[in-house]
Parts: sequence; structure tokens; C-alpha cells
Amino acid sequence: MRAIGCMMSLSGLLVLMPAFAEEYKPWAERTILEHLRFEDFAGKTAERQDALIDRGQALFVAKFTDLDGAGRPMATQAILATKRRRPAPQDFQRLSGPDANSCASCHNDPAVGGAGHFTANVFVSEGFESADFDTSDPQFSNERGTNALHGAGLVELLAREMTADLHSQRKAALADARRSETPVEKELVSKDVRFGSIIANPDGTLDVSKIEGVDTDLTLRPFGQKGVFASLRQFTVNAMNHHHGMQAEERFGTQWTGSADFDEDRVESELSRGDISALVAWQATLKPPGRNGDIPSEWQQASERGEVVFAQAGCAECHRPTLPLKSLSFTDPGPYEVAGTLRPEETSTGIVHNLALEEWSKSLERDEYGNWLVPLFGDLKRHRISGKRQNAFGNELLGQRFVDRDVFLTTELWGVDTTGPYGHRGDITTLDQAILSHGGEALNSRDAYAALPDKDRDSLIAFLRTLIIEP
Amino acid sequence: MLIRLTASGVLATALTGALYLPAAAENAAQITTSPVPRFVEEAAAAGINHVYDGPWEYFVGGGAAAFDCNGDRRSDVFLAGGAGPARLFINKSATGGQLSFEEQELTLSEKNLNKVLGAYPLDIDNDGHTDLAVMRVGENLLLKGGPDCQFENANRAWSFDGGREWTTSFSAVWEKDKPFPTLAFGNYVDRSAPGSPWGTCHDNVLARSRNTENKSNEKPDYSEPQSLTPGHCTLSMMFTDWNRSGEPALRVSNDRHYYRGGEEQLWFLPPERPARLYRRADGWSRLKIWGMGIASHDLNADGFPEYLLTSMGDTKLQTLDEEAEEDRPVYRDVAYEKGATAHRPYTGEEIRPSTGWHADFQDFNNDSLIDIYIAKGNVEAMPDFAAYDPDNLLLGNWENGFAETGKEAGIALDRRGRGAVVADFNLDGLQDLIVVNRAAPVSVFRNQGQKIDNAHAPIGNWLGIELKQKGSNPNAVGARISVRIGTRSLVKDVDIGGGHASGTLGFEHFGLGTAERAQVRVRWPDGSWSHGYRVFTNSFVVIERDNPDAIQWHPQ
Repeated sequence: MRAIGCMMSLSGLLVLMPAFAEEYKPWAERTILEHLRFEDFAGKTAERQDALIDRGQALFVAKFTDLDGAGRPMATQAILATKRRRPAPQDFQRLSGPDANSCASCHNDPAVGGAGHFTANVFVSEGFESADFDTSDPQFSNERGTNALHGAGLVELLAREMTADLHSQRKAALADARRSETPVEKELVSKDVRFGSIIANPDGTLDVSKIEGVDTDLTLRPFGQKGVFASLRQFTVNAMNHHHGMQAEERFGTQWTGSADFDEDRVESELSRGDISALVAWQATLKPPGRNGDIPSEWQQASERGEVVFAQAGCAECHRPTLPLKSLSFTDPGPYEVAGTLRPEETSTGIVHNLALEEWSKSLERDEYGNWLVPLFGDLKRHRISGKRQNAFGNELLGQRFVDRDVFLTTELWGVDTTGPYGHRGDITTLDQAILSHGGEALNSRDAYAALPDKDRDSLIAFLRTLIIEP
Repeated sequence: MLIRLTASGVLATALTGALYLPAAAENAAQITTSPVPRFVEEAAAAGINHVYDGPWEYFVGGGAAAFDCNGDRRSDVFLAGGAGPARLFINKSATGGQLSFEEQELTLSEKNLNKVLGAYPLDIDNDGHTDLAVMRVGENLLLKGGPDCQFENANRAWSFDGGREWTTSFSAVWEKDKPFPTLAFGNYVDRSAPGSPWGTCHDNVLARSRNTENKSNEKPDYSEPQSLTPGHCTLSMMFTDWNRSGEPALRVSNDRHYYRGGEEQLWFLPPERPARLYRRADGWSRLKIWGMGIASHDLNADGFPEYLLTSMGDTKLQTLDEEAEEDRPVYRDVAYEKGATAHRPYTGEEIRPSTGWHADFQDFNNDSLIDIYIAKGNVEAMPDFAAYDPDNLLLGNWENGFAETGKEAGIALDRRGRGAVVADFNLDGLQDLIVVNRAAPVSVFRNQGQKIDNAHAPIGNWLGIELKQKGSNPNAVGARISVRIGTRSLVKDVDIGGGHASGTLGFEHFGLGTAERAQVRVRWPDGSWSHGYRVFTNSFVVIERDNPDAIQWHPQ
């Protein structure tokens, strides 16, 4: 891992690129001395990409200041540029935000980019109505724990390939229906994960009522507890505004708002395309979690038994131990962006990160087809995780972006030992309790776990506790 | 003669009342920061080689109808020919590709196809196949559409007297509980009247079907039309619910060049009773323009549409005044403050006023702000008006105004525009444009999106919405679509009429900027609101009444 904080000054401010410091005094209270140009990194060498990754790391830990553009006095946290009805009474507000000085102020456990404690919970609202809520009453927002970002590049690549599969299956179904002039039902399957089915009609209409676990546009959105962000780039643009009031040009700039200073904090063009690419680069190349090999033999034995029990109890049906990945080439921007997040069509050449060049990629196993096996313990699919008999995970009142209140993306368990507390609210302190909190589609597995002999339950915990993010 | 001192201190002169402002003053007031859509004119390559032409009667008209006549949901095009025959072109464009059309031979008689000024598509008999209301010099036609893009003259079957007038405008609406649409035909000069053409305008016609129930095998019966007197040489008309009453009114735009004592008109249509004009006592103000085309859009989504009226010289943009009441249609003009006067050519050396014809509100760059297209062109060779008079593309901006971008967009051709249709002909999410020009080839503009370096790219997100309901009025004419993105509501009314002799029927297009998702609600023609439909953007959806979900549609 690249060293973190090497550019951090005693004051906590950053001098990102000393060569550009001429414009500002060395003690300038800024973290961004010059914005990156996307074009300076697109289509360039791996060494150049390394520089971008370093810059992304610096931005991730940077404590943004007013001079950088931190704060959004006249804009809400919404993903669409939305004006506040009245100026924000405070620069920071732990509920509706801005609620953090830096990305790393929440994503830091056990290492920068990791998860967060309950103290780092975020309050998620769409940011359109009641945007400036000042209460933790769940009718205004959903309280969420902080997700770890390690391995996020692999997760996005998996989602891209799965989206391509589903889109291809949709296209084939439509073509078959048109050709045969009869409705055609097609199963939606990618990487052995089933997403229900669609019925294509000869006239080109589509019955999507049997789709499961993915949006009806068949685009996997693997980020966020609910699975509502398609890419690191989209997530980053959203989060920079929400948490810091740092507004990216590609979403909040003049093209879409008519103003270079939409949030009216007297700083224009707060984050360039290149700046966002730097943050994406760093997140995408973060070393994925692994297994703790430095454990006593007793633990090792229990862990091996626990991994078997994990599968037998049905946990692995959703928490898939691995998903196969065809390519480790991470392009930025990704292929499924929509307007408001930089799209490939808006660039002449993209930035390519070959994750196979990362040292950590050597530890990825490969299957007989040459696919890299990503050990994420997830399926990138949404499930209803709460029901009448066990509704511990049904503790939110608000749906989010068309996703029902009790439906969540399968939590990837890689690194789970180091990402507690658990549950989407981050309010469950043990893995045992987290498992027992499962309901809905996971009720049978939960019951199977509850019915296990104590030794097997214990061994399953022993197994889960080998899954770590290395600090 | 009116003399005005403009804001910039330049003394400008307008002829006979036309507001005549320096373009520089207008342009300085309104700019856009949104990407300008780039159009490429590709009529010849697209297979449309057609000219609207003819003597004096065809100085006006020159319309088109865009609709799907073969069930593939691609917009096909019927083009008026003037003295020559009207023609039908079937859309063969590949999705996202260049525009491509193939002419379909029509089996109608030469007599029916000649002398056509324009047409509007609608499903008059509710059979699921789009029909055409065709305006002619002479007998107007109601053409019953079939499944294979063929049409038959249904005048006799539907007891419709096409008249012998010189018809230049049309609109239609389904009145409450009526199985078949009410039709309005607007007529121009009565050439046979003494003193013609000055002060000799024909009356207009309102044709309500006599049927009261929509029984199977029932046919429309238009045997008892009402004369809308007085007529003032109408060049555009539009049924519209101006006051949210649920009852349509008929806006009529008239050409002051020929009428005497005339003005713009608004007809009140009480159910089961004859139409009557709003008068001065109702708050209706006299407005005399060279009315050529009407376009409407609810610019601020307050439920009350604004109206754009094209003319010679300055374009009008009317909004309800504070003095208006639910039965008092008091309007004020906001064209100047919004930068929408489009009163003279924005490029070239011309300082003579423009001549505006067709107009349409559409979002051409998908930035979620509505834009205005205006077809421009000298009537023939009027010396007091610009000879080179390029069409306008006024992009909406975030200051609630409009900025001219016609030249940059690539639509500033030296042709005399008349009617036009706007539709996404290649289903790539960008609105394309077909313009009928007088005595010049039809222009077929493909919208390529924004230009980045040497390539083109899409702009904002978008949504195409088709409405369906069972029984009468299957295309839900009169419905209002409201699309919610964030805190904003974008609205569109489904209407038949307005513009200049041209109409479209098909997907209603919404530009949605950066929104990835949207909630759609529909106020159906009977006034009832739907629940919210959740849709992802950059897609086409069909919303069927009483179906709980919006249905995705994917082009081939």
C-alpha cells in the first residue's frame, strides 16, 4: 500500500503538488493547490496512473477548507443540484451535513478507506424535501454505518460484467420475441447469480415484474448499503457534495446549473474531472481484504470447520465466497454512467488502471477459465432482509431510490472481522448477533445457524473472524 | 408607425407595430451555459427529397405530420406538397444511426393528395390506427389509417363535409364523455368574396361528433358542424385548458395582413352548447399580429400554460397576468424579458424583421430546460422583411430565459421555413427536426448531441413517454404528464393542434439533465391523476391507464 499521510503537514493541511505552490504561500490554508486535468492522465502510462492514485489518496485524507470550497450554504446534499430554501445556519451539521472534514474521518477502520465506528454513522436522505433536517427521527433519514472501500475496484468490475450479461440477455430476449412473434421469457443469470426473469414481447415491450434483486434497468449498482450507486465515480461525486460540500463540476458545474458556484460559498469549480478521477483511482486500486493467516492452530481448525458450516447453513447462497471476474482492466469513466457523472462519450480517451499490475492482485486465485476469483462473500444482489418474525434489519422508515425500506444489498463479508460494528445502522456489536438479526429471504439460513450446535456456531464465527482488512 | 428607444439607447423602427429591437441587446441579456445540440442536415441521404411549392395559396401552409403508421413506434412522416402531391415516408432509421426513410406509395387519388397544406395525426375512430386530418385548398380530408400505412378517405363514412375553403389550421380534442374528438378547422382568405383578399376571411368550423356513446362499430358523425364566426384568416389554432377548468378552449391565431377588425381569439366551449368568444368584458385584450403559429408549454409548472405566438417581427410569449381569474383570460407578454422575441435574423447582415411560422417547445439538449424552435422564412419576397431568415433554436437557460443558438446548432439555412415536426426519429434520446420549406427541399436535421473536440456526445438524460388508454381517445389527448426530478416538476400536455399546419403523435420527450430516476404522474383527460410511476431515465416507457407499472419499450 502506498504510504498515507506522507504529504500531510503538521497543521493537517496538504501541499499536494509543491511544484504548483507558487501561487499560494506554503502555509496557505488549502488542501487543493491546483486542480487536476483529466486529459493529463487519460491514456497515459502506469507510472502516470500511480501519480493519480497518490493524488487520490491525498484527497481522500484531505481536510477540506473553506478556501477549497468546503461547505454548501445554499445547496442541499441531494444528488441532483438542489438549492436550499434558506441559507444553512451552520457550516457543519452532523445530520443533514456537511458532516465530515475528510473522507478518511469516517472511512478509517482499520485503515484509511475502511469502515467506521457508530460515531461515524451517516444520515441518508434524498435531500429534496426536508433536506435540512436536524433530528435523527427516522422519518427524515436513514441512519447508516460506514462501508469499507477495500476491494471496491474489483466490486465495480464485477458489477460491470454482470450488468453487461443482463443487458445482453435482455437484448437476446427481445430479438427472439421479435423473430418468433411470440412472448419470450428469459432467465437473468450472471456469474451464477439469478436475478429472476423478464418477458420480452414481440412489439419490444418488456415485462419486468419478475426481476429480482436488481433495478428494472438491469444495471447493477454495487455501492451503498442499498446498492444504489453504479460506480465509484458516481458515489464519489455524490459523497463529496453530501459530506463536504465539495461540488464536482461534472454534476454541479455551469453545464447543469448555470453557475460555477452553485452552492454559493464563493468558490467556483471545486472539484475537476481529474480530481474526481484521482479519488476514483485510489479507491479502485485499494487492496482488497484477505484472510488472516497469522492465527493459532486452534483458530485455524475452527475456521476451516466454520467455512464448511457457513456453506451448509445456506449463508453462501447470498454471501458467495467468490465471484469470477474476466478482466482486471478498470476504465474511468465506466461504461454505465449517466449524465451528471462523467461518461466515456464525453472523453476522447479514458483512464485505464490495470489492476493486474497491483501487487495484491497476485493473491487472487483463478479458475479453469482464467477468471480471477474475487473473494468478496457477496452476490451484488439485493434481498429483502426483514420479515414478520425477524425484523431487526427492517428498522428504516424510508425507501431509497426506488428500493424498499427493508431491501438491502448483500453485505460483502470480506474484511468483516475488521469492519464492525455490523448491520446497516452499525448498531450490532457481534457477528453472532448480526447473523441472528437476518430475516426475510435469509430467515432459513438464520434459523439454520441458530439451530447449530454451539461448537459449529462458534466455528462459523471463527471463520468469519479470519476475514480481515490488513491495516 | 411605432418608434421605440431600446434599453441600449439605439433608436429602432418597427413597421406597423412590430417590436424591433437590436439583436445585440437581446443577445446580451440572455446566454446559455448548456451544451448546444449540433444538427446535421441529411435529407438527401435520409431519402427525403420533397418540396412544398405552388402559387399564392401555398405561400402559407407547408406542414408535416409525424406519427407511427406501422406499429414499430418509429415516427413516420407525412409531408404536404402544396400544388404537388403530399407524400408519406416510412422511418427506417437504425437506432442511434443516421436518419433513413423510404417513401410509401399512397393509394389515395391524385385529387386527394394534391393541394394539401398540412396535416395532423390523431386516432379519430379509436381503432388503434392513427388517422390524419388533412388541410387543403378545397375539400379537407379525414383519412382513416390502417395497419399498413395506408389510408382511405373517410369523409363520407364519418359524415364529414370537408368544405371548399382554403384551410390552414386544425386542432382536435376529446370533450368530456365524448367518444370521438371534436375537430376545429381554421380557414384563411375567402378568395371568391368581393374585395378579396382584403378583409375577406372565411369563418372557421367546429365539428363535434353527434355520437354520445362509444359502441363497437360506431362511427364518428360530423354531420352538424358549427361555424365559428367571425373568422379572421386563421393560421394556427389549438385546443387548450388555459384555466385548469377541465374544459377545453380554442385559441386561434390570425393573420392581420388580411383581416379587418380582427384580432387573436379565444373560444369558450361549454359542453353541449355552441362555442362563444371571450370578449373584452371577459378580460380578453385585443391583440393584432400576423399570427402564424401557436405553441404552448407550462413554463413554470403552475398548471397554467404559456403561449408562444409567431408573427412577423416580434414573437409573443403570453403568460396569465395577475389580473386574470378563472373566467378572465388576461394575458401579458413576457417575450422580451425572456429573450424570446426572435424578431429579426440573429446572423447575417439583415436588419429587417423576421417572419415566424411553426413553433414548438421541446428540450433539444436534454438539460431539463425547455427550448423553443421557430421556423422562419419570408412569405415569398416581401421587401420589408428579411430575405435570409434562419430558423431559431432558443435554448432555455437557468435564468428562466432563452438564448439563441440556431447558428451554432447548424440549423441556420437559407430556406423559407414553414411547418415542422420534432421527434426522436432515430430513438437515440435526442429530438430531431424535420422542416418543410417553401419552394426548397425539406430539411431533415439529425440531432447529434453536443460537440466535444471533433466528436459528438449525448447531453443530458431523457425519457420518452407514450400514453395509452382503452376505449375512446386511446392516445390520451388532453392528458398532462408530470415528471418529477428532485424538487422540480416538468410538465407536458398531450395536444393535437397549434404550430403551423404540422403535428406529431407519439412519445412525449422529456430532457432530465442529471437525473438518473424520475417519478411520472399522469392527469388523464378525464381529470383523474395517476399514482407515481417509477422509471429510470434514458429509456422509453409506455404508460397504460390502470396498469400499475410503466412498461419499458426497447427499440430494435
